[in-house]
Amino acid sequence: MELELTEEQSWISESIDTLLSREWVTPQDVADASPERRRQTWTALVEFGSFGIKKDGEDGLGAVELCLIARSLGSHLASVPFLGSAAVRLALAPQARSLPAEIAALLSSHDPIGIALLEAGSGWTVERAGTRLVRGRDGLEIRGEKVAIEQLQAAGQLVVVATLDGAPALAMTPAGAAGLTRQRQRCFDETVPMETARFDAVPVPSAGVLGGPEARTVLRRLMTAGSLLAAAEAVGAAGHILDLACRYAGERRQFGRTIGSFQALRHILADAYVRQQSGWSAVRYAAAALDDGDPEAAQAASIAKAYVSRGAREVAHSAMQVFGGIAFTAEHPAHRFLRRIGVRAQQFGDAAHHERRLGRELAERVSQARAALSSPVLAEAFPA
Amino acid sequence: MAPEERRLREEVRAFLAENAPSPPDLPRSLDARIEALRGWQASCYRAGYVGRAWPREFGGGGRAPVEQIVVDQELAAAGAPEFVNVVGLDVLGPSLLRFGTEQQRQRHIPPILDAREIWCQGFSEPEAGSDLASLRTRAVERDGRFVLTGQKTWVSWGQFARWCGVLARTEDPGHGQPRHRGISMLIVDMNSPGVDVRPMTQITGHAEFCELFFDDVLVPEQNLLSNRGDGWKIAMYTLGHERGTAALPRQVKLRTWLDRLAFTLGDRALDGRALLDDPGAQVSLAQAMIGIEVLRYHAQRTVGEFLAGGAVGPDSSSVKLLMAEAEQRLAATAVELLGPAMEQADPAKQDEDAFWEETYLYSRAASVYGGTRQIQRNIIADRVLTLPQE
Repeated sequence: MELELTEEQSWISESIDTLLSREWVTPQDVADASPERRRQTWTALVEFGSFGIKKDGEDGLGAVELCLIARSLGSHLASVPFLGSAAVRLALAPQARSLPAEIAALLSSHDPIGIALLEAGSGWTVERAGTRLVRGRDGLEIRGEKVAIEQLQAAGQLVVVATLDGAPALAMTPAGAAGLTRQRQRCFDETVPMETARFDAVPVPSAGVLGGPEARTVLRRLMTAGSLLAAAEAVGAAGHILDLACRYAGERRQFGRTIGSFQALRHILADAYVRQQSGWSAVRYAAAALDDGDPEAAQAASIAKAYVSRGAREVAHSAMQVFGGIAFTAEHPAHRFLRRIGVRAQQFGDAAHHERRLGRELAERVSQARAALSSPVLAEAFPA
Repeated sequence: MAPEERRLREEVRAFLAENAPSPPDLPRSLDARIEALRGWQASCYRAGYVGRAWPREFGGGGRAPVEQIVVDQELAAAGAPEFVNVVGLDVLGPSLLRFGTEQQRQRHIPPILDAREIWCQGFSEPEAGSDLASLRTRAVERDGRFVLTGQKTWVSWGQFARWCGVLARTEDPGHGQPRHRGISMLIVDMNSPGVDVRPMTQITGHAEFCELFFDDVLVPEQNLLSNRGDGWKIAMYTLGHERGTAALPRQVKLRTWLDRLAFTLGDRALDGRALLDDPGAQVSLAQAMIGIEVLRYHAQRTVGEFLAGGAVGPDSSSVKLLMAEAEQRLAATAVELLGPAMEQADPAKQDEDAFWEETYLYSRAASVYGGTRQIQRNIIADRVLTLPQE
């Protein structure tokens, strides 16, 4: 598998960095960025072509490119509705030709998309949503409650993960639909605005509903893509705070020496570097696997998400240790990175969730192999 | 993976299914075992699987470096015995190819490839471990020869080696100069008078490595590798090379060990059910797997740069750190999950518990050999992060 960036990929990465340096604010100022500034940054990203996503057999951006963009957004702590918008499109793209019309239309639009996924008190096992699609007088209606919908205030469209006749389904609704009650919610990172939403019989046209086996496929791919984009952003944020900590260690003097000359700190920073770099290797590998249609892409994404969720946090903790007391002041940007990493570490499954899943799958695989070895046919072929 | 790599992989698999000895079937006595392993490496060489990317003029295969990686990964996946001339293949062979004279390469490369001559490396000393530049072994030039005196340690397979790549001081660095000045690399014939080899027993119970004593050993001038004073440069090249390319086959081996552990846990019971079905055990296995897989992703990325013609840079230290971490985590996981059974293992039985006892003990070396974990962190701090020097 090709893991080196192509020239075009390097160009995308550099261009997004340049764009964000121009359009977006410094880490110190992210919480005070005006709504106009956020919109302007978003518009610049759209105009750059961030959503020219590859569909069946066409040219365009894939998971690797979108993860590169997410990494830059994380590094700059940008506050834009990118994650949902990119994850939904990445999830839908391979099915482009067989999707219901209104859902397929998302692929040719640049609208910001929100994802209504989590429910209060439920974990990241999302295939049994309490939110349901029920048959009303004029067709299907959404009933239920969702929490932690990122950037709902900016989203034009909302993709709701629900159940239809007990099976997973996806429904699409305008973010301002009648019957939808929204409320601003607290978030660990205030630059990742979150809302709750109550759906009181919100009507959806059948062209806006995806059910059946395809819904399960798209939902799984949505979790894979979302995990990777969230991890990519965390890697970007970790890279930036690590850079700041290295620079600080090279300037700050104590005991008559530059503190970066103390081995205790040099080793903390070296370990953090390894964690951050290998985290990116994991994300990039899994993103390439997703683009290649590799059957192990979901597993690779779980590995990347589990690893980065722990690793990026570790990097932020290490950097804060190097900064010392100054990083404990609200004015210092360190906590902005810590908060962003914390939120991305949770989204689409935290480390514990992915580790449980990976362990279960490994055990199932091995149990099957053991069972195969004890089958009568094989026992004859390989006598003990 | 490119189609030709896939074809090669199939070819190697077929060869291994036909030819690879199973490690438990190898002779138990060390001498007979080494002879069998020489034969194994020679047959792999004849099949084109050793030195596949080395130049054809010296007996190599002249193929792309990625092909050797494909081969090594298949050997590891099949659990085939490792090549007995590992030091020649991974450490000193690449240095001879890079720094040796035409005559040195003609003389030494072919017998490295088919294991006719085993190599060892004389780098560390009792008083020069991580602080390699403080080595005391001296080589004084006299009548067109070097006279070598000193002591080396941790010399893997020294008792079977015909040649040793020795780092020795040929010049004083000079006052105020860095101590790695004045160190040279000599090719020493282990049959020379004055060479004394004493095997040491390791914590695993094996005697894979030795102490070497040089007492006025005469080394012909033409056995100097590159120029006087180039020893440090060569040593850094060889260590980086080892770190950069060994990780992928090692990773494959760790992955097979993980599956092996999971398989064994299917036989062990906890509270009336298989340990493999215990959620806590599953999470431990998953954490070990994550370490092993991330090692692969990261090594592929850094080796990719090497295969594209770049040097093995300081990022090989990241790979080395991840490799030690993955190996030690896997072994510690086995210890925790197998419990007392492992500690009561009888090595003579060669069962799973004995395997994990040895693997656990051996894993403790992973963060020491080839440059300790702390040295790798120093390399990253200096050369990647360019932090102020200590």
